[in-house]
Amino acid sequence: MIQKMSFFTLLIFNTSVIYTQTCCSGGIPLSNNLGLSTLEKGSTQIGIQYDYNNLNTLNSGSETLNDDSRLRITHSILLNAGYSITNSLSIEVLFTWVNQRRNITQFGNENLDETSGIGDAILLLKYNFENVLGENSALNIGVGTKIPLGSSTETNDQGITLNADLQPGSNAWDVIYWSMISKSFDFRPSFTISSRFIYRNTGTNTSYFGDSTYKFGNEFQTYLHFSDQFLLFKTITSPSLSLKYRSASQDKIGGFNLDNTGGKWFSIIPNFSIDINSDIVFSAKAEIPIYSFVDGTQLTPTYRLTTGFLIKIPRKTNKLIIN
Amino acid sequence: MKNISFYIFLLMLTLMSCNDNSNVPNQTPTTNNDNWLIPVNEVKDGGPGKDGIPSIDNPKFIDISQTNPAFLNDSDLVIGTVNGSEAKAYPHVILDWHEVVNDKINEDFITINYCPLTGTAFGWESKANGTKSSFGVSGLLYNTNLILYDRNTDSNWSQLRLQCVNGTLISNKPILVSVVETNWGTWKKLYPNTKVLSTDTGFNRTYGNYPYGDYRTNQNFFLFTAIPSNDALPNKDRIYAILDGDKSKVYQFSDFENGKVFIDEFNKKKYLIVGNENLINAFELSDELLDLDFEYGFNNSEVFFKDNEGNKWSIFGKAIDGPRKNEVIKVSRSVVSYWFAIAAFYPNPEIYQ
Repeated sequence: MIQKMSFFTLLIFNTSVIYTQTCCSGGIPLSNNLGLSTLEKGSTQIGIQYDYNNLNTLNSGSETLNDDSRLRITHSILLNAGYSITNSLSIEVLFTWVNQRRNITQFGNENLDETSGIGDAILLLKYNFENVLGENSALNIGVGTKIPLGSSTETNDQGITLNADLQPGSNAWDVIYWSMISKSFDFRPSFTISSRFIYRNTGTNTSYFGDSTYKFGNEFQTYLHFSDQFLLFKTITSPSLSLKYRSASQDKIGGFNLDNTGGKWFSIIPNFSIDINSDIVFSAKAEIPIYSFVDGTQLTPTYRLTTGFLIKIPRKTNKLIIN
Repeated sequence: MKNISFYIFLLMLTLMSCNDNSNVPNQTPTTNNDNWLIPVNEVKDGGPGKDGIPSIDNPKFIDISQTNPAFLNDSDLVIGTVNGSEAKAYPHVILDWHEVVNDKINEDFITINYCPLTGTAFGWESKANGTKSSFGVSGLLYNTNLILYDRNTDSNWSQLRLQCVNGTLISNKPILVSVVETNWGTWKKLYPNTKVLSTDTGFNRTYGNYPYGDYRTNQNFFLFTAIPSNDALPNKDRIYAILDGDKSKVYQFSDFENGKVFIDEFNKKKYLIVGNENLINAFELSDELLDLDFEYGFNNSEVFFKDNEGNKWSIFGKAIDGPRKNEVIKVSRSVVSYWFAIAAFYPNPEIYQ
């Protein structure tokens, strides 16, 4: 049973990538590390990840324009922790620190605006239904909220407030609906197919620039994930591959749809993880866009790299729970 | 296992060292002058960043006597200017994406600037502190209106305020060049030998696709606020405004159906107002010209109005025929604008009735 849980832990850690990237933003991966598995009651998990998001592709609809003068980069450090309240119910929190950069290289000059600071946080409550699709399957359902901890009034060096896209926080509460379903098979128990759905119902910043409102577009994401495990140098390694679809509505400003925001994106995410020991997993992944259709003209992701560790802290009394 | 851990940390270090500042030119020195003529808390970051909307610095033109610009419809708005025998048109469909064109016309360097959010266009000499300079888009907005910067001193210039509002040239004012705004169909009748800015700008953009949705017609849709507001007219009504100091008088195109010429008084000055439903201009009248009787005379040529002396005048106030040939009436400081923008920059404007 412990091995099974460990397997699902690894599976979820590898696959639960929720890039809540705003349409034209550099993309703070707010929920990047969300979706830790529900372990034995009393177990704790801590994850820390570094995320590098590069947007240097200017699209009009699905057409890539020949212009790389605009570069948006987001460096994020994500710290999340999960605690299993029962064997099925768990709670998870995610904290972020972000550095967002907007570089314009034009006419032989570079212009840089950047902000850094604590970003918004997420609180997620999840329930795990085991074996609903037969043996070795799991259905997880969660609901959560994005807590606007981050500043949304950062200024440049002239004291001018930067726009929503560059702010570490959104000054809005979001509701997040999360679910994941997974299934492994008798012919190869280590091989797993899983799928994930995330819907983010965004809130509104009612004091944008002091006298306006701003709402990032509602967002839907789904993943189809294939993973397996192998022994490599006597170490459990888990290569995996995810297909990701993301759809975002247009942002709203002052209650009106904001053009050049929102769109649809398909990407592929190769992932590789290693069990450093029985309680620590290292993973690294890359997100590579394969198709995008954006509203109007906007910067769209060029690539994203994410790497980090997951540390599992079992309950002190090493009691085996059998469902 | 130690080896694996070593490689993992090596990978982490590699990723952490992703440095987006490599291989880029030197950063533009920012204006370290915190002094603004306008409230800095009302200056907004537009989003694209400085030069994120790139000016056109090497404009190419189409000679319409040789090639028809297929990307333009007769109803498309253009900014037009004439210098000597050279006439040039700068279409909104291109300016929407660039906002600033640094150009040369008859040996004179001019900067055409257009703000899509306030619908305002000016032409001014490409000079900063008396020295030739190009201008660019700062990425900042005041009252949702374009702030340009000059590339000599990096000072910031408020377009509709017509003044440098920050930087070493603070309080300086641009030297205006006379431009008009009308539709392409009217402009090419006035100046059939005009050149028109080409979409071959050096930038890959979807010219013809208006980038702001229904902003032009949705009266309540604003990307940024402009204050004070004034509900005397619908916010996005396109009007013609004479500017004098901090005052303005506004004329509506609907008052000029089928052509109209009249003398009006504003701020203790006499103005000759000429126009039709597509084009309006105004001139400061000297005492000498007050005795003339002017009449509308646009007949699909350069002549736009006439007088009882037998003079025929262009829309830029130049006598192109008659006893006063080559005389020029002083063009007023004026602009075509969305109503809300004039109301914000020049509060309580008069409206011609």
